[in-house]
Amino acid sequence: MREVDDVGDIRRFRLARAILIGVGVLGLLLGAIELVMKQTPIQIVGVAVWMLGAIILHDAILSPLVLGISVLARRAGHRVSKGVLAIMQGAVVVGSIMTLLVVPEVYAKTLGPNPTVLTFDYAQRLGVMWLVIAALTALTCILYTRRAAKNRLQRQ
Amino acid sequence: MGIMLRRLLLNMQRAVAAPSRNPRLAVVIGRLLATAFLVCFGTGLYSHFLQEPLPWMHFPTQPSNLYQYTQGIHITAGIACFPLLFGKLYTVFPNLFETPPITGIGSLLARASIAVFVGASLVEITIGLLNTFQFYPWPFGFREVHFALSFVIIGSLAIHIAVKLPIIARYWRKRDGYRPEVSFDADEQSALDAPLIDVPRPVLGTPLEPVASKVASQASGLTGRVFAWIDGTPRPQPRTSRRTFLATVGASVAAVVLLTAGQSFAVLKPFNVFAPREKGIGPNQVPVNRTAMAAQVTDTAMDAAWALRITNGTTTVAFTRAELLAMPQTTVNLPIACVEGWSQMATWSGVRLHDLVGRVAPDGAALRITSLEKEGGYRVTQMGSEYVSDLSTLVALTLNGETLDIDHGYPARMIAPGRPGVLQTKWLDHVEVM
Repeated sequence: MREVDDVGDIRRFRLARAILIGVGVLGLLLGAIELVMKQTPIQIVGVAVWMLGAIILHDAILSPLVLGISVLARRAGHRVSKGVLAIMQGAVVVGSIMTLLVVPEVYAKTLGPNPTVLTFDYAQRLGVMWLVIAALTALTCILYTRRAAKNRLQRQ
Repeated sequence: MGIMLRRLLLNMQRAVAAPSRNPRLAVVIGRLLATAFLVCFGTGLYSHFLQEPLPWMHFPTQPSNLYQYTQGIHITAGIACFPLLFGKLYTVFPNLFETPPITGIGSLLARASIAVFVGASLVEITIGLLNTFQFYPWPFGFREVHFALSFVIIGSLAIHIAVKLPIIARYWRKRDGYRPEVSFDADEQSALDAPLIDVPRPVLGTPLEPVASKVASQASGLTGRVFAWIDGTPRPQPRTSRRTFLATVGASVAAVVLLTAGQSFAVLKPFNVFAPREKGIGPNQVPVNRTAMAAQVTDTAMDAAWALRITNGTTTVAFTRAELLAMPQTTVNLPIACVEGWSQMATWSGVRLHDLVGRVAPDGAALRITSLEKEGGYRVTQMGSEYVSDLSTLVALTLNGETLDIDHGYPARMIAPGRPGVLQTKWLDHVEVM
């Protein structure tokens, strides 16, 4: 009975795969046709360069940077509690992602003539955000350390 | 050389291994990311076809704020893709150093499709974000490439799911557990342990202890020293790491959504810290996308001889602003909802388009609408008959109780329910029945 099920599973898997690959190839073709029809060859090269650049930026620059920081943080783990370290790392990641999204706004604001686009002082707000993150992180770490200590006492 | 490369790749894999880099978390984040991508694709197609409808297409005009929501969701889900995509790439990073990198034509195609998928996704969400504040630092057309890449992404997503189907099925449910993040078989482990060729032979007669010699060989050379240093760091605790990872991704998504979505959703307005747009500002308390200056209409729009022409074949009627103001006025509450995601509810008053077109054509007419703009992709647009028939579609003359500001389309502009802002033609010049 089990073997029959397995055969059925394999057939369903194969069918699902075939459909997905069919949809995938169709999507890629449609995208490629749209690009070729609506953009000049130079523009298409521009798209390819941007895609390649994005991969290099992520795989060769951002990821090793993140790895380096996480290894350094774990080294610090000899002295700092693991929970505190985790909270701090999380806070840095959230802040970094926000920064990544907001920095282009800081730059673009210097270019735009339209007064209702990019209305805030983004650089200042980014600074305040990091202060808020630091304060929240400190608070969370204090609460976490207190709770951990209490738990340890209770266990003893 | 081949052996060295393999060893380097295996070392890289070992170095980047972490408890939160495992197939189960890749599946968890992958599901969320795929959902966000599909939401963006669906709402994006809706927006695209509203602007470039196929001949047989008709769209709902009510609820009048439908587009405000679909496009607000499009932009907000797109912004949420940043932390989700980074999280997903983080979970699968060790796969980058898989060895051998390519085992055959199948694996070559799979790898190529991943490269296309990752590259296209990163470019798509980046240009989408920058477009929300009208920043275009790339050498290609935004709309065309954003549209084309959406198909590339959905296509390579389908191929990616097909390739990873066994892993996705295996780790769909939590009870099926977490595979060790990176595991090496005996062959790979022996390749990792093998002494480096450039290690100097121990001097005869002073045999080193086997373990010590292995450590020495591992630590030789710059890369060897780097890997040994990484290996020497304390291992993270799996459960804490996984929880921290999910909490961090969750907090990041919450932060990017909460702090930017106030430009699209009124309920989040108090939390709008970083969005490029702000509700309730600008002339007539409504933000502006294209100013009169940018559209080069500052002279023509203020011309005392201006009149709105409405044509059907050889019949043309014309109305000055005073004549339009003398006709029965209708007041409606309709949002202006931009393709860039921001939206603003406003009170408009003016003449029903249905009544004006009724002077030259029977019901059911579709229109070609021309603006005074000198140039631009939306100088001439088309309007389906469903919008002409809707009684809330106006040739608007006032906005929020004041005379329409020139940046909002003075002397007269179109406002229709459920349409993108770019199709709410400002500085009306000519309306033709098609």
